[in-house]
Amino acid sequence: MTMKTPYEVNTTKLISIVDESSTIRTFRLEPKPIEFKAGQFAELAVPGVGEAPFTQSSSQYDNEKMEFTIMKVGRLTSALFNLKPGDTVGVRGPYGKPYPVEKFKGKEVFIVGGGVGFAPLRALFLTLLHKVDDYKKIYIRYGARTPDDIIYKQFIPEWSKLDKVDIKMSVDVGTKDWQGKVGVVTVLLDEIPVSITDSSVIVCGPPIMIKFVTKKLLELGFPGSNIYLSMESNMSCGIGQCNHCRIGELYSCKDGPVFTWDQIKHIKDPFI
Amino acid sequence: METYFLPEERFFPFVLRLTEENDVFGQSKRHIRKFRLEAKEPPLFDGFRTVEPMKHFFMQTKEMVAKFGEPLEKEISSQVIIGARRCDLQALKVYDKVFLEGEVVDPFYKERREKTTIISVDCEEPTETCFCNIMGLEPWSEKDSDINLTPIKKGYIVDIITERGNLLFGSSRDWLQTVDENDLDQRAEKRQKAMEMLGKINSEYINIKLEKALETENMKARKGEPMNCVECCACLMICPTCYCYLLYDEPTKERMRVWDACYYPAYARVGGGANPRPDVMERFKNRFACKFEYSPKNHKLFACTGCGRCISGCMAKIDIKRVLSQLVNASSQKEEI
Repeated sequence: MTMKTPYEVNTTKLISIVDESSTIRTFRLEPKPIEFKAGQFAELAVPGVGEAPFTQSSSQYDNEKMEFTIMKVGRLTSALFNLKPGDTVGVRGPYGKPYPVEKFKGKEVFIVGGGVGFAPLRALFLTLLHKVDDYKKIYIRYGARTPDDIIYKQFIPEWSKLDKVDIKMSVDVGTKDWQGKVGVVTVLLDEIPVSITDSSVIVCGPPIMIKFVTKKLLELGFPGSNIYLSMESNMSCGIGQCNHCRIGELYSCKDGPVFTWDQIKHIKDPFI
Repeated sequence: METYFLPEERFFPFVLRLTEENDVFGQSKRHIRKFRLEAKEPPLFDGFRTVEPMKHFFMQTKEMVAKFGEPLEKEISSQVIIGARRCDLQALKVYDKVFLEGEVVDPFYKERREKTTIISVDCEEPTETCFCNIMGLEPWSEKDSDINLTPIKKGYIVDIITERGNLLFGSSRDWLQTVDENDLDQRAEKRQKAMEMLGKINSEYINIKLEKALETENMKARKGEPMNCVECCACLMICPTCYCYLLYDEPTKERMRVWDACYYPAYARVGGGANPRPDVMERFKNRFACKFEYSPKNHKLFACTGCGRCISGCMAKIDIKRVLSQLVNASSQKEEI
């Protein structure tokens, strides 16, 4: 008998690959294999190799395609980097809870990203842009290791010109031409342009960056219920069963991957 | 529930009839403490639980769960398990919570659960590792299986608990006799004796307040015993409530699901190599937290049934009862401070 299982993928084609930096690429898939909302994630499979969890970096309102911006770090991502346009991949999902954008309405949205962690934030940013008048203003603070490691270089100048968008960037190691700040991403938090008590702060990046950004935000007085963190963990099944992604009693895959600080603050050292 | 008496000489023919339409598993003389009933071999009940847990009847150790780009064809046959104990049945409740009552139902588990009839049996002689009494259970079941058997002189008291259990008796129904007062007295006496044995075995631990063990911070106080762990994962593989699994794809594009265990160093490691629990002590704490803190929070059940298999399986002689009691003691000391 034919069994419908939660582990089946929807197949789609890899249409194009954009080099964002030496280790980061954006993979464009068409047709859009699944519906999703910004902040949710999907399992992306390379046939015969395996699958891994990634958050989409394209807009949830894009009905044609789906994009993932991915850093080459391990076995599966290496296999992804070996794919060519035209190759078949599989996607299953969406999993997890999306960013609660309804709660951001009428507020300043303060987005803090680090490295490839900007990928899910781009999906959120594009979603916010879709109804930009719903929000007071969108601030992006983005840090990368070097100017070369900055992703979405082709879009950032365009986004910076938008009325309700304010973007500032920092790099750990600058170059002669670099005009932004130099230092880890927390240097961008020296000036806080938003209301501390009534803005929504969204953070995504390497766990160590999230840890220090969260610490700084709390020191500045941001309420834990307004700080949204993307928690990286080994989300294998995506459906809250296999247990690999557990953070305390919570599951990154079904309760997250975005948690408010208040949701996870009782867990001892929640950052990897 | 209906209660009958089944004479000893009718029990084996009843089992033989079951084999005509089902895969039948139970303990036997040749494969004691395993669910391996070979053809024309009577089941044997030997005082307490099997060594192997029952979980592989519902979630196989390795199983194809999807195929890339193709529908999955699979047949699951009906099965009868003879000789489940209370600890095994309690463990299935944890599995049910995860695989049937969560946001996503596991189709394989559901199908197997629906096609499995469970005949439980009372534990007459709990062994040294048993501690179901500490977990708030009795060594017999009155409602969590389809049929329950209590061995008494010259036969069995048979409780038919569910409709599925009722159907199983089908053509063997004539063999069931009315149960008399004497039979029931024998059962009460046997059950009391088993409870007393458990009380004696666990006299040191009988007053453990498990909610105290939940304060997993106390794991810090326990450096000694857990440090002997060699990470063989026997305790987790043999645990009837552990359900962690790993998904991987074969080069043939078959997606496989295999049992996994949270003691393995790479268990929670992410793609870039970062690991939330690189140290064995962290993983040890996680196991205890999973069973005694997270499961009650998520499922309102301890993910431990007191079967004691992990004690039997541990080559480092780590005793979950002892660790729990030390945790509780550490907690009490903290309170005094």
